[in-house]
Amino acid sequence: MSTNTYFEQIGAWPASHGLTRSYIWGYALSLILTVVSYEAVVHHVAPRSALVVILLLLAGVQFIVQLVFFLHLGRETVSRERLIVLWCALLIVLIVVAGSLWIMFSLGGRMAPSTAQMEHYMNNEQGI
Amino acid sequence: MTNHDASLDHDALAADLRAQDNTTVFGFWMYLMNDFVLFASLFAVYVVLRGNTFGGPGGEIFSMPLSLSESLILLTSSFTYGLSLLAARHDDKRRVLFWLTVTFVLGALFALLEVSEFMRLISDGNGPAQSAFLSSYFTLVGTHGLHILGGLIWMGALFAVIARRGLTRFTLRKLLLLGLFWHFLDLVWIFIFAIVYLSAFI
Repeated sequence: MSTNTYFEQIGAWPASHGLTRSYIWGYALSLILTVVSYEAVVHHVAPRSALVVILLLLAGVQFIVQLVFFLHLGRETVSRERLIVLWCALLIVLIVVAGSLWIMFSLGGRMAPSTAQMEHYMNNEQGI
Repeated sequence: MTNHDASLDHDALAADLRAQDNTTVFGFWMYLMNDFVLFASLFAVYVVLRGNTFGGPGGEIFSMPLSLSESLILLTSSFTYGLSLLAARHDDKRRVLFWLTVTFVLGALFALLEVSEFMRLISDGNGPAQSAFLSSYFTLVGTHGLHILGGLIWMGALFAVIARRGLTRFTLRKLLLLGLFWHFLDLVWIFIFAIVYLSAFI
């Protein structure tokens, strides 16, 4: 009974022998990235806006680390379709998130006045 | 007619079985991408609404050490699941079940910590109905928690199936799919940790 090539045969795992190392590296790198992010915030190593960028970068790197070392994405002999679909999803996510944030944070002053504001305007500035 | 049964008595799976299982994995991956977009929109809502505390407290209600513990526990459980898959590759059923159990215990610990945090927040008067900030927080982190819960139930069921039927083509496939799901949940948590918890303390 041979189970040891099943994952490779269906294109889910790369055909390689260093897979235990892959998981250990993934775990070690993710641990480091998590703790570094935490310490960066606790010790406040940079001003607010810079710190936010640092956190997002560290999170992004950990995301890629886990995709490659835990999910084996992008490795040779692993089905390529999943990577392509991931890029599509990332594109959608980028549009949805960036678009929402852009719109929601530029609303200032672009809205119709509230009823109270309209009444005040009509009474005080138009003499109605 | 080839015997398309569950065993792996031959060294190479027939090509049509390989294609079938490849497609199943791909289909499940499509579901995960869909989930990814779902979580992304929940994140967007949280980022927009986290300033809307309706006069109440903001991110200071979160506990940094607790969120770090949760992160480390979930990350470790993702690693131990990988160990379970590696054991499956060596056809070692007992080790598969062992690491599956360890993963389950870590996942359950994570879920318990999260539930206890939710209960503390609610009893402090910071429940999900108090402000837009809290609603979006509970929705985002709660949705992740529900996924974890589903994963734990799946893991328990998979443990029982593997214990009874051993490592067959079908149980290996299920093990792989749950692995994708569990790793995905850790990926989402990376961003929850950074955008919700760490950002609250900058």
